[in-house]
Amino acid sequence: MPDAVTIEKLTKKFGDFTAVDQISLTVGEGEVFGFLGANGAGKTTAIRMLCGLLLPTSGNGTVGGFDIYRDNEKIKKSIGYMSQKFSLYGDLTAYENLWFYGSVYQLKKKVIKDRINQLSEELGLKEFLHRQAEKLPLGWRQRLALAASVLHRPKILFLDEPTGGVDPIFRRRFWEMLYELADKGTTLFVTTHYMDEAEYCHRISIMHHGRIIELGNPSDLIQKYQQPNLEELFVQLISNRSREAADV
Amino acid sequence: MLQTILALMKKEFYQVIRDRNMLGLIFLMPMIQLLVLGYAINTDVKKIQTAVYDFDRSSLSREYIKAKTAGDYFIISSDNPPVLDAERGFKENRYSAALIIPNDFSEKFIEKKPVDVGLLLDGSNANSASITSGYAEMIAMQFNRRQLDIPEPIVMRQQMLFNPESESVYFMVPGIVAVLITMITAILTSMAIVREREIGTLEQLMVTPITVPALIAGKTIPFAILGFLEMSIALLFGVLWFGIPFAGSWTLLYGLTFIYLFTTLGVGLFISTISKTQQQAMFYAWFFSIFAILTSGFFSPIANMPEMVQHLTYLNPLRYYMIIVRGIMMKGASVDALYPEIIAMVIFGIIIFTSSWLRYSKRVS
Repeated sequence: MPDAVTIEKLTKKFGDFTAVDQISLTVGEGEVFGFLGANGAGKTTAIRMLCGLLLPTSGNGTVGGFDIYRDNEKIKKSIGYMSQKFSLYGDLTAYENLWFYGSVYQLKKKVIKDRINQLSEELGLKEFLHRQAEKLPLGWRQRLALAASVLHRPKILFLDEPTGGVDPIFRRRFWEMLYELADKGTTLFVTTHYMDEAEYCHRISIMHHGRIIELGNPSDLIQKYQQPNLEELFVQLISNRSREAADV
Repeated sequence: MLQTILALMKKEFYQVIRDRNMLGLIFLMPMIQLLVLGYAINTDVKKIQTAVYDFDRSSLSREYIKAKTAGDYFIISSDNPPVLDAERGFKENRYSAALIIPNDFSEKFIEKKPVDVGLLLDGSNANSASITSGYAEMIAMQFNRRQLDIPEPIVMRQQMLFNPESESVYFMVPGIVAVLITMITAILTSMAIVREREIGTLEQLMVTPITVPALIAGKTIPFAILGFLEMSIALLFGVLWFGIPFAGSWTLLYGLTFIYLFTTLGVGLFISTISKTQQQAMFYAWFFSIFAILTSGFFSPIANMPEMVQHLTYLNPLRYYMIIVRGIMMKGASVDALYPEIIAMVIFGIIIFTSSWLRYSKRVS
């Protein structure tokens, strides 16, 4: 299986502060990869470097086989990005938002139309299509954001805390949609701090202070540390780390 | 590329149409500005409220007063008020001129001795005070001539070209057009870009394959079109409501406006690179507009400014555009008459737009 994302010693410093500290990992094609960590652990910074929004300080990386320094433009064509902020145009309708992003990706009119139909069917957005985006309930807005980020059928989809502030039922439904995407071969790179969501991932990495402190299949990790669930595992790992830091 | 630009433009128009405040700003602002500035900024001085102190009370002095008030210029608002009331009357704005005729007026006049007539003026408005004193002198001279039968050595026959009635509206409306197009395009462009950054959609756009030229075109062309729309509203309103004659070529005016827009859109683009919030962008755009308006010759002639400020006005792109708009509208000026201004505008447009473009590309990537 070819790799969708490879990172080698990727580092980002802001002045004296090291937000991402020499992280290395690979994500296979079609994999659902979870990027876990407390707030401020460096998840968003890492994702922004992979999407070409930030230039790394050092280290290497490829996305979809393209180099993150040289092939920025090619990467942009093959990825989708859904940020933790709701970044759609609130004063446009759902339909207009989707149409806009479709045009930005230079899809043909007919293709855009067909895909909006299909996606709104799949995501249950149909009845909301002609409402202004800012007037949609949060859960629907997130589905709309998802629709906007996959309209051009990206090979790799980056999701930065896509379910923040949404109730559990919506979250479960959202993850079912993500799984449907993964089944069709889309690679998903998801950051989250909801541990129940992490269990949906094929593999997870746990970040702490800019470093990856553990990486593997969720159930393997639970077994390895003999914890009842991911939540306990996460808390234990992080507090171990903090204790070690305090001891030093 | 074209598809992306069109999509951006369409989106921008939708956003303007959905925003009621913005719509009001765009369509009502030119009319309100025209109405207010067209009527309120009236540098024509007429109907000067005058207090008259006639200490002579002769038939000659009465004739003199009649001559003074014969035109539309002086109006007697108070006939022989208490002497001490003069200053208070000025302070309370009851009158802006006081005419004082001494008690030996007719006696000296008949003996052909020089006689002093006093004129007190409200100097807190220096401009109208000096115009008023001009009128008074002119009327006094005419009175002398008529009464004394002096042959006139030099007779000046004046004719005001381009604006025979010397209507200040004719002069103000082209100025307002120039000011409007400057403010609207600079403010709207900078705010629209900063708003995208504030709500996070700019970041979303940056992960798409959109190119910087497409982004800039998509963010500036809509406001150029709005600028033209604004200008057309203001011009139509000026012509239809104020009856302003339009002496020159509409095509030339629109064509040169197109050149000028590179400057204002460039300024908007530049402001967006130094502002984090829409308020900041608004503030910078205002600052630019105020500087541009004050040193453009819109309110007061550049020739009246101190020499240092006069030099400064050469750095103001609106200065040239102001001359162009007024020249075309009032004098029917053609390209040959305006080419120094056109060259200046082209240079400004190229420098400002490309440097903002470069700065903007550097910031987004």
